[in-house]
Amino acid sequence: MPEAGGPRETRLGRRLPLPVLMLLAWLVPGLGHLLLGRRLRAAIFCAVIVVAFAVGLTFDGELILPHAGDPLSYLAAIASIGNGVLFFVARHFGLGQGVVTAAGYEYGNTFLLTAGMMNLLLILDTHDIGVGKKDW
Amino acid sequence: MLDHLTLMSLDALLIAVFFSFLWKRDRHERWPYFWKVFAALLLGAVALGWLMYPFPRG
Repeated sequence: MPEAGGPRETRLGRRLPLPVLMLLAWLVPGLGHLLLGRRLRAAIFCAVIVVAFAVGLTFDGELILPHAGDPLSYLAAIASIGNGVLFFVARHFGLGQGVVTAAGYEYGNTFLLTAGMMNLLLILDTHDIGVGKKDW
Repeated sequence: MLDHLTLMSLDALLIAVFFSFLWKRDRHERWPYFWKVFAALLLGAVALGWLMYPFPRG
């Protein structure tokens, strides 16, 4: 059974090329699904990612950037930047610097990285819906 | 400061909700999948903790 009311692709969603939709899906969690008419899922995804991101910042997590000589930091940076506009806004306001000595630092990182990776998965899901591989 | 179990449960909850909506089409499929993922994350973490217990740090 599809979502209540069924998917209603917005006019903008129909007009936009798929790469642009995917870019928007990355920038704003849930926006890709919203434009493709998956309103309920868009709202749930947005809420889950924003909550995870906010918890991560609250617990002094770090929005990790690549460090030379630390290959794992590149993977972590991809996950961090995967948060889209949340990442840029937080960095702009000086949040997500990470307090290594804080008790919640590792937890904060876990939530921030989880949020970013979930948002990256949403880009792929937007692609699958956009090309018709997923009809719900 | 929330305790370890609460934070782990919150993370598991968010991930389980996310994947149940990502992979499952309707609520009849979503609920069992949600509980499966949630339980797997929680019990898996506890089991992993027990398995690591004999190995001292450092």
